[in-house]
Amino acid sequence: MYRLFFTPEWFNGWDLVFDTVSLLIAFLIAAYSWQIYRIHKEKRFGYFSLAFILVTLGLVFKIITQGVLYFTTVRDVAADILRPIAGERLSLSYLYYRGGFFVEMVFLLGAWLLIYLVSQKPRERLKRFDEVTQIALFMYLIVLISIVSNFEYYVFYLTSAVFLGLIILNYYRNYLNKENINTFRVMLSFLFVFMGNLFFVFVFAWNGFYALGELFQLIGFLLLLYTYQKVIQR
Amino acid sequence: MSSRRSRLELIFDILLAIQNKGGMIKPTHLMYKSNLSHKLLNSYLEELVQKGLVTIAEEQSRKKQNSTKKVVITEKGLGFLAEFRRMREFTDAFGL
Repeated sequence: MYRLFFTPEWFNGWDLVFDTVSLLIAFLIAAYSWQIYRIHKEKRFGYFSLAFILVTLGLVFKIITQGVLYFTTVRDVAADILRPIAGERLSLSYLYYRGGFFVEMVFLLGAWLLIYLVSQKPRERLKRFDEVTQIALFMYLIVLISIVSNFEYYVFYLTSAVFLGLIILNYYRNYLNKENINTFRVMLSFLFVFMGNLFFVFVFAWNGFYALGELFQLIGFLLLLYTYQKVIQR
Repeated sequence: MSSRRSRLELIFDILLAIQNKGGMIKPTHLMYKSNLSHKLLNSYLEELVQKGLVTIAEEQSRKKQNSTKKVVITEKGLGFLAEFRRMREFTDAFGL
């Protein structure tokens, strides 16, 4: 059976709950920024909304793929569906898992990159032509990294951590400029997601890091929800 | 130097100026407060009246025995101000 990496048995299922909470928060933020985009008609709000939609979709694919792997009943049903097509060796099931994780990685890496680009100050953003060519280059690299990550999973989490580190730097600058508690909270929430991804990198050494990574990622998203709540309440 | 204000920011500034004056303001005062030309302010006011964000009220002056126009912010206008503040807080927090 194909596994991206081995997770602690006692934690199986809990990560799906954590990811479901995170994806609901991501969807909420995407919906609100889409609402702002509809009013302002400015690209940056549309991109920001798209980024959080990508986070949502990435997490959906992660939950579906992991869910099939964890629960024997679901796995058996999936195997029964795939058997007539794939034959006894079930090589298509490998393709399914690899495909599932690949889509998760492309969406999440795309989302972090988009948030990084949008969180830059306008004067630092690229001109339209450069923007298109560089986004195309980034997309190629994201697909490449996602393919490689299916064989060496930590490449994905390491790349995510690099993107998240850059996002944190942008939000740190934003905090210094605005000196607003909400800007600090946003920076802090991405710091937690960043630390979560760093923990994921080291799952090969001890699988307990997976649970820690999921926990830190959840704290990050909950902090995003808290900030959103504070903003909306005003 | 500050960058050019967007259309929505201009509307926000107009409504904010009215709110800061207790919900009612003379058009000339509004022109100075929102830093707009007479022509531009009139075109914006027309749009705001159409959308129901402000109304134009006639007020009788006791001394001069004539009426003066005043721009009054509506409930819908106050709602727009609150929503715009929320959106601004969100975009500031997320560095957009």
